[in-house]
Amino acid sequence: MKQKLLSLLSLLMLASMLLAACGGGAAAPTFSGTATITFVQEPDNLNPLYSSMWFSQITREFWLKGAWSFDANSQPYPELVTEIPSTSNGGISADGKTLTLKLRPDVTWSDGEAMTADDFVFTYDMVMSEKNIVNGRYPYEDFVSSVEAKDPQTVVVNFTEPFAPWLTSIFNFVLPKHVLQPVFDSEGTLDNAAWNRAPSVGVGPFVFQEWESGSHIIFKANPNWIRPPKLEQVFIRMTPDDAAQEAAIIAGDTHIGVFLSSDQIDRLEAGGDVKVVATPGGYNESWFLNVNPATAHPAMLDVNVRKAIALATDRFSIVKDLLKPDINPVNATFWDNTPGYATDSLEPYPYDPEQAKQLLDEAGWVDSNGDGTRDKDGVELILRYATTTRELRKNVQAVVQQQWAQVGIGTELINHSSDIFWNNYNDGGPQALGEYDISEYSQSPDGPPDPEASQNWLCSEIASADNPDGANWQGVCDDELDALFKQQATIADPAARLAVYRQIQQKMYDEVLYIGMWKDPDLWSINSKLQGVNLSGPTPFWNAYEWEVSE
Amino acid sequence: MTNYIIRRLAQAIPQLFIISIILFTLMQAFGDPVATLGARNPPRPEEKERLRRQLGLDQPVYMQYITWLVGNDWQKIDMDGDGVPETPGQRKGILRGDWGNSLVARRPVLEMIGERLPNTLILMITAEIVIIILSLMIGLVSALRPYSLFDNIVTGLSFIGYSMPVFWLALMLMYIFAVNFRRWGLPYLPTVGMFDPAVGKTPAEIIKHMILPLTTLAVISTAGYSRFVRSSVLEVLGQDYVRTARAKGLKAMYVVFRHALPNAALPFITLIGLDIPFLLAGAVVTERIFAWPGMGRLFLDHTERADFPMLMGILMLISIAVVIFQIITDVVYSFVDPRIRLE
Amino acid sequence: MTNTTSTPLTGNTKLNSPAAPLSPMALGVRRFRKHRMAMFGLGLLILLMFYISFAGLLSKGYCAPINKDVSGEAWANCNDTSLKLQPPSADHIFGTDVIGRDIFARTIYGGQISLLIGISAAIMEVILGALIGSLAAYYGGWVDSALMRFTEAMLNIPSLFLLIIGARFFGGGLPSINLLGRELTGSVIVIILIIGATSWMYLARIVRANILSLRERDFVSASRALGASDRRIILAHLLPNTTAPLIVSATLGVANAILAEAYVSFLGLGVQGATATWGNMLDGAYQYLEAAPWLWFFPGTLILLTVLGINFVGDGLRDALDPYSTRHV
Repeated sequence: MKQKLLSLLSLLMLASMLLAACGGGAAAPTFSGTATITFVQEPDNLNPLYSSMWFSQITREFWLKGAWSFDANSQPYPELVTEIPSTSNGGISADGKTLTLKLRPDVTWSDGEAMTADDFVFTYDMVMSEKNIVNGRYPYEDFVSSVEAKDPQTVVVNFTEPFAPWLTSIFNFVLPKHVLQPVFDSEGTLDNAAWNRAPSVGVGPFVFQEWESGSHIIFKANPNWIRPPKLEQVFIRMTPDDAAQEAAIIAGDTHIGVFLSSDQIDRLEAGGDVKVVATPGGYNESWFLNVNPATAHPAMLDVNVRKAIALATDRFSIVKDLLKPDINPVNATFWDNTPGYATDSLEPYPYDPEQAKQLLDEAGWVDSNGDGTRDKDGVELILRYATTTRELRKNVQAVVQQQWAQVGIGTELINHSSDIFWNNYNDGGPQALGEYDISEYSQSPDGPPDPEASQNWLCSEIASADNPDGANWQGVCDDELDALFKQQATIADPAARLAVYRQIQQKMYDEVLYIGMWKDPDLWSINSKLQGVNLSGPTPFWNAYEWEVSE
Repeated sequence: MTNYIIRRLAQAIPQLFIISIILFTLMQAFGDPVATLGARNPPRPEEKERLRRQLGLDQPVYMQYITWLVGNDWQKIDMDGDGVPETPGQRKGILRGDWGNSLVARRPVLEMIGERLPNTLILMITAEIVIIILSLMIGLVSALRPYSLFDNIVTGLSFIGYSMPVFWLALMLMYIFAVNFRRWGLPYLPTVGMFDPAVGKTPAEIIKHMILPLTTLAVISTAGYSRFVRSSVLEVLGQDYVRTARAKGLKAMYVVFRHALPNAALPFITLIGLDIPFLLAGAVVTERIFAWPGMGRLFLDHTERADFPMLMGILMLISIAVVIFQIITDVVYSFVDPRIRLE
Repeated sequence: MTNTTSTPLTGNTKLNSPAAPLSPMALGVRRFRKHRMAMFGLGLLILLMFYISFAGLLSKGYCAPINKDVSGEAWANCNDTSLKLQPPSADHIFGTDVIGRDIFARTIYGGQISLLIGISAAIMEVILGALIGSLAAYYGGWVDSALMRFTEAMLNIPSLFLLIIGARFFGGGLPSINLLGRELTGSVIVIILIIGATSWMYLARIVRANILSLRERDFVSASRALGASDRRIILAHLLPNTTAPLIVSATLGVANAILAEAYVSFLGLGVQGATATWGNMLDGAYQYLEAAPWLWFFPGTLILLTVLGINFVGDGLRDALDPYSTRHV
């Protein structure tokens, strides 16, 4: 292997030297080495219009940069623009309703064609076109009134009202007009464009080379990008089985492994060649509590019972024994893993079974019939604890069942396969229908690192026959919380917005509307042969141009 | 013969029709394809309604079936959601060769199947050949020496192979030959995939990457087949004509190969004929673990995302293959066994 | 060598074997008892039954987290995360799993569930297969065509797909039930239903073929002439004469169902909740193949021994019940 790679490397060196010589002595960049990445899920489509898959999205840092990416500190980093718009540089208008992007004049598409403001307008038109069955129009449909090309280097986005989460949702991709406009004109839609699957023209340190279904995707170095890469190619291998990915990482058959779990860390790092790193993706393993009077267990409506549930659960030893406490500490709020929005003053409720018992006694839930489970007015305190079929969650269910039995709370454990679990109201989704009291899964705000998460908490989003796609499955409906969520969405000033989020978090904490299990950062394995990797949460491969492979 | 084949093909049409209706009905047990469209980033609530409308998932089930079967290019559909159909339908239906588009990949189903089929066939046909040869050899030898030491050992081993869950055996082999052999400095095999990107997709690479999945499949399946061969041969050896042949003083080997084997082969051919169409479906678990880009994974991935045009496509393809191979098996039968006449 | 070919299992053998010293059943038992592997398999199964029943009654352990002695299922589910992944020791002779449950206790209680699944699914398979096969064969005509087209359609569909559909269809919808003092999650019933409902097709074909050949025999015509009802003819005359394939299929069905349970567990469709089965124990051990081999070794070995035992017994039964068997008696 070593020798093979060495000879390959020298061949590549030779080839690139030859190329350089042919280039008439110009300092043409040289590329060498292949970085191998394993993906446990295969992207469905590479055109951002047709895919909302995370695995498709993260590849774009190689071949289709957005206006900006996010660095390892989750701070915006300009890519296609000269600077990040702000009120001070005039990028954001005083009323917060106009966003102006100044494009870098030296950025070209990988085929050498200049990138202009027209490409941005075209992208907006394609998102909004009825002819395209796009996966998402957020936020353009509801919040953007128009996108204009003021001049070739200036894009103006007009909002209908001040729109806070623009940084994570506006122009995180741009489509090449010169490639796709002719397709749209002749076919009437982009739905079947060859570019969707083989996007031969892009804008980024690499350019798409080939995609063999089920097997791999290859990206080659793009010499036309403003920050030329060092690697010759990136090879993404589809490896659907977690345990097989683990074996491939240990064997050194892949440089970067994705979607790992904390219990794998020790085994992966044992050989010394592999380092596991965590990036904040905004996700927290969470307990969503059903407080809908129509569907929840009557006890769930009592804040003291909800508090007792938190106190009766030893989340700390679960995290210590089943995960990694330094990577997956117990979280207090929904925003603990969203950089800049965690409230440090809020600590998760401690493990205190005695206080839990006391709270339950005070709430009137006592074991009157001596069967070991508390009851009140003839109703036994048996809670439906639902989650997916994932092994770790099943284990946590078993541990929690025993902990709750200690304080006299009975459990009914429910597991659903994931396509059923998240179904909507009309399709009989168990959460949408409220067939649970506690539901466990990993969730993030809509577009981390932005904290926006209103759709899970607004009264108007409660799922019902009239609103089958409503995402508020807990039935939370609190006027004060509603007002706060609506208020934060229109505050463009981050500091002012943060203040509102502090209030939201305090309220949800006091009312125990949310119980955090643990922070759920994305875990990656990196082989020591691949250097310069500096992953970020929102756009993990943002610095791919700096990566290099060594022997 | 030709008449027979034509008649069988004609009979197959209603059968395939029934299967397609059963399958389409069963598909309704899946979740909402739109809900899982984004996997980790599901579409926002307000987008789901639009997507369902544009993908035609808001139509009643029988309309969706009709569209799948004969297309919708004879009517207009409502793409913009104003309640007025304005856009002409694009689908032609499977009867006119349009197998539909995958809901998640937004690409023609037939094209996607076409990309995976060769990979599956390379693996499965090789595996099937290895399995047939091994099971014939093992089955024959243990039938000729029933209850001998060899028979007992082979029987024991084949049951161990048969009892081992595929996923467990596959990962075990991977750890022994790909991870630990490498660690110990022995010649080792690759873990996953079809080739090493540093070398490229060469025949040698594919063979090297095929060894472990092939071994997995062979260990699991040889057991059942060889037991089958053993019992068929044993049964034939007990028949009067074999005893007569022996009584005539013919050599034991001659009796076995001239009389016993051809007759014992009949049920074996039937079994293989019935199993071959399912080779198209690939080996779901083996392909998944060794990251082999075949049909089994295509099927599993799209099952998880409730992509019913894709699933219908794969399952109908298998059903068609089953029907064709049933006919082929019957025809082969009539050649092998002159007593069977096709009318 | 006894010429057994002259004693077909037709139920009234005395007529055509004047010198018959043994009934076919006695002959079968005798053949079975001479079948060394079958006897070995039977012995193995008896030991396993003892393991999952008596061992379960006698054994108990101390559950530290709740600070009391527990027995039965509470012992199998007693978890102590601080004792996770301990190799076999005097306290836990088979070691502990990822959340510190005793693997010895779990193999006992998991075995009960696995066998319950295996036996129930096999019974369901036999009932469905015998019912559909005999109805089709006895009535013939359109009943036969309709049932056989349906059987063929089911055979055409890959069983994996049927399993997945079945799990979707029933999944999560069934409540827990209480059986012999044990709480069983609804998913146990789901697994039984989906395995049973997807495995009857071959049996239906065998039964149909057998009955077709019996239907025109004299004894059936005779009872029909005597005015016996259809139901009586099927139940009293036709089915009993196909017992050999039924018994063999049922036996092997148990082994296949136990393996199928492991298979569906791997696909995430297995028995849910805290309930242990050998299959889901093995699935949970999958990630720890190298790191904690005791996780898979014990349930894996138990599955292996059970399947081995059942298959040997099935082989013996096949030989013993087959009137054309050439096995020396």
